[in-house]
Amino acid sequence: MTELGIVDIREIIRNIASKYDYDFSKFALTSFKHRLEKIMMKNNLSSVSGFIKKLKTNKEFFDIFLHEISVPSTEMFRDPSLWRWLRDELFAKINDKNLNRFKIWFPNSVSGGELYSLSILLKEMNILDKVQIISSSLSNKSIEYIKEGRCELRKIEVSAENYIRFQGNSNFSNYYRLDRYYAYRDTSLIKNVEFRKQNINFDNSPMNIKLVLFRNSLIYLNPSMQEKILQVMHSNLSATGHLILGIKERIKDMDTAKEFDPVNELEGVYKKHILVK
Amino acid sequence: MNYNAVIIGGSAGSFQVVTKILNSLPKTFPMPVLLCLHRLKHVRSGFVEALSLKSNIPIEEPFDKDKLIPGKAFLAPANYHMYIELANRIALSTEDSVNHSRPSIDLSFITASNAYRNKLIGIILSGANKDGAFGLKKVHDNGGVTIVQDPEECEVRTMTQSALHLTKVDYVYSTDLIIKFLLKLT
Repeated sequence: MTELGIVDIREIIRNIASKYDYDFSKFALTSFKHRLEKIMMKNNLSSVSGFIKKLKTNKEFFDIFLHEISVPSTEMFRDPSLWRWLRDELFAKINDKNLNRFKIWFPNSVSGGELYSLSILLKEMNILDKVQIISSSLSNKSIEYIKEGRCELRKIEVSAENYIRFQGNSNFSNYYRLDRYYAYRDTSLIKNVEFRKQNINFDNSPMNIKLVLFRNSLIYLNPSMQEKILQVMHSNLSATGHLILGIKERIKDMDTAKEFDPVNELEGVYKKHILVK
Repeated sequence: MNYNAVIIGGSAGSFQVVTKILNSLPKTFPMPVLLCLHRLKHVRSGFVEALSLKSNIPIEEPFDKDKLIPGKAFLAPANYHMYIELANRIALSTEDSVNHSRPSIDLSFITASNAYRNKLIGIILSGANKDGAFGLKKVHDNGGVTIVQDPEECEVRTMTQSALHLTKVDYVYSTDLIIKFLLKLT
């Protein structure tokens, strides 16, 4: 694997910014470097100049790049206790009238693991058809991937263990079929989902959201970009909206922290802070 | 001798060794101690508490972008990779497992080595797979100090032997000698 130096990484970032207006200098350096190296290896690119040239001249490749630079979820129902909280403490307490206006947003879907997990949860509560779900992705490739529902077998194994800990009321194997090499998720689960493409600043993202599932995405950004994106999430949430972050993403020390109230810090659950006049 | 961090990797059979090391370090230990130990991915709590029982230095599972502070130990959280960023901060990652492991010792060692270069001490302890061997080589290649627990003393030798196979390490030490080495730095 080609190891990239800081100069190489800056050169790649500069070229992408000049051609596509995407500024990756706000990404956390170590994971970004690791992703770049993986992309080069996967696409048989051995030189930085060749990589840059392909990025700049091949729009289709740039879309693939946006898919591969993003980190997919590696398992469904990661942190089963959070999913239990969503079911038992959040959705179980929402009345029918409010469910009809309940808008859920996945700001950064890469493989759809979180999206399919929530869809299963809602289906088991018989409310999947009532809510509105929006899934945004950086690339068309991610959207295609999610819609196809394909998943590596080893990820299904971990997910099945998580599902048991989540204490779902069905059998996890009802939600996928297997062929020799892959599992295919039941795509009827996401038939009502609205898919959108978005840029890395989340410009023009959906408003009046009741629940944002945004776990383990902030960790790939540097602290100043984390603040900026949290502010986007804040303005997109409705007055009673919840934001779910990864359990190791802490907003306590950020400027934006005062705009959110912790609901269940252990599970990364926050609520939009209401200013009382 | 002037180092900026110690990083320790271990798996099966390393818990007692890590505990013994942590219990021997003084409160004033002059650099951060990074711990990347294989652990059950779905068990979030209990590990830090167990390691902390007799440790003089505080041990925590960092949150993303936490600052590394001397005299404190940072344990890679369950089901996350723990990277070291150049700005002396932790960065966590949910990228795929490496060597069937998340946290992966290789990734923690490689990133720490990129951040600290020849100011890093890398230590590989008892364990049942080869994770860490490549990372220790990186520490060596960047001019850092490399130490491997004496395989004779290890409960499971695979990890230390893989590391020794890949790198001409600086020291093969028993637990007691590892502690002695670290105490000389204070």
